[in-house]
Amino acid sequence: MTEAINTASVAIARPTRRRRRLDIRPAVFLTPFIVLLGVFTYWPLIDTVYLSFMKLNTNAPASFVGLNNFRGVLDNSQFHDAAINSLTYVFVSIPLKVLLPIPLAVFIWTIGERAANIYKSLLFLPTLLSFVVVSIVWIWLLNPVMGLFQSLIRPFGLQMPALLSDVGTAIYVIIGVGAWKLIGFNVLLYLAGLSSIGRDYIEAMRLDGAGDWTVLRRLIIPLLSPTIFFVLISTVVFTIQQVFTPIDVMTEGGPLNATTNLFYVVYQYMFQSFNVGFSAAGTVILFVFLGALTVFKVLVLEKRVHYS
Amino acid sequence: MLKLSRPWAATGQIVLFITGLSIALPLLLVLGTSFKPANEIYAGYPWPLNPTFDNYAEVFDKLPFGAYLFNSAATTTLRVSGQLIIALLAAYAFARYTFRGRGLIFALVLGAMMIPHQLTFLPVYLLVNKLGWFDSWAALIVPNLAMPLAVFLLRQHLLSFPRELYDAASMDGAGELRTLWSIVLPNIKPVMAALTIVLFVDCWNEYFWPLVVTETENAMTAQIGVRRFLDAERGDDLGPLMAAVTLISLPAVAVFVLFQRQIINTFVSVGIKG
Repeated sequence: MTEAINTASVAIARPTRRRRRLDIRPAVFLTPFIVLLGVFTYWPLIDTVYLSFMKLNTNAPASFVGLNNFRGVLDNSQFHDAAINSLTYVFVSIPLKVLLPIPLAVFIWTIGERAANIYKSLLFLPTLLSFVVVSIVWIWLLNPVMGLFQSLIRPFGLQMPALLSDVGTAIYVIIGVGAWKLIGFNVLLYLAGLSSIGRDYIEAMRLDGAGDWTVLRRLIIPLLSPTIFFVLISTVVFTIQQVFTPIDVMTEGGPLNATTNLFYVVYQYMFQSFNVGFSAAGTVILFVFLGALTVFKVLVLEKRVHYS
Repeated sequence: MLKLSRPWAATGQIVLFITGLSIALPLLLVLGTSFKPANEIYAGYPWPLNPTFDNYAEVFDKLPFGAYLFNSAATTTLRVSGQLIIALLAAYAFARYTFRGRGLIFALVLGAMMIPHQLTFLPVYLLVNKLGWFDSWAALIVPNLAMPLAVFLLRQHLLSFPRELYDAASMDGAGELRTLWSIVLPNIKPVMAALTIVLFVDCWNEYFWPLVVTETENAMTAQIGVRRFLDAERGDDLGPLMAAVTLISLPAVAVFVLFQRQIINTFVSVGIKG
């Protein structure tokens, strides 16, 4: 097709324009990146869809099985648990990781610069630590036999419950650990949003006799809303993707699938049951979910950008 | 800036102090425990009375931890360098030239920014195995060399770059690579530095991919090594475990201590979360 276009343009275009068309320099510069992107991002995306319709056999060639993998996954109780847990992860995370940082950011915004800088650095620290490190630290702190919290409450005759091996509490521990890692970063995102709010507005409201609460509700929250939305979406995406590490390090999806999520079951299908078809089908379902989220984000964020 | 009324300001101070403490305290305890001799580990007080490096020595005794650290350091260096070079070339092409299909190709770059590895790992894993790259540095480096985010950021900076500079360079007879090296690069040093740090932290802390493609000390990274150590000991060897945890956190924290402000700004503007 490109050849046809080129021959056509040769006939019409003047020689100078033709030379520009044939400029290969941008192609040379782009080739490494485009090839890598094709081989390791776009082709795998398509291949995953293909694999989701196939059954891979060790000795025989792969065979087409239609929607069997999807049926199998959707009938699988592990997958049900994972889907429900994914919703729990997302919804419990929102007040903790999206809303709680707002007052923290406002407080930092209103204290002196030196203290603010100390808090900013401190809050940023967990962003730099790997999730493996964070998970291990919390496994130790919460350990019911020799954990730190246990040694703190032992003198009072109290016993630390085994939060991570309890079906009812394990998922909340993982959400809490994720929050510990993420809250500070979200505070910094909010501070970036706050820094663009003009002093004049606030002083004008003050002159009209507005108290802290009114300023917060009528001015700061509305002006911060694009940031809030951005934090919300990126936190949801983070919660779906990054929570893999604490799940794998702290509970491996257990006890009784209580902490597994959609991405973790996809991993388990592949590396524990060695069922490529199931894993691919699960990935496709995850993709639809993440894709919808991304489209939503682009649509709403675009709108916001035009408003401001 | 907003000045809060007294009760609110006081509440703020207390809330921030508690938040700060809840971040600092666990980290200080980890650091303290990593220096505790064996007989103090389970004692009630948090700080080592007779600090020792024994735990650190033990990490290297019990595990091929040197090999893990070497794998991490080498693959991170190679991968980040590769990512930067490849992204810079691509960004330069986007910013400097008009060509057929530029809009479409750039849309593919933007699209790739939104595709997480979790959605593509399966075929890439099968491919890596087919190529015989399992448990090798190549498996850690090559599939991750194209970094759309880096192209996006660098392109933005190159677009604001005055065209006259390019023209002057080519009039002086400088070739493309020469222009890139002696005109473009010196002018985008701050962005490159910031990007390097973000990519470095991202790669150093990576978990999922090295977990599935490495198996032995040939390629296993420090993060996975520490995780295996946790499995093997299940917390019985707390001192060495905390020493290992401290060791693998050190590089990122050290860079942070050196360039605090810039790093925070970069991470926030990029919107990356570790």
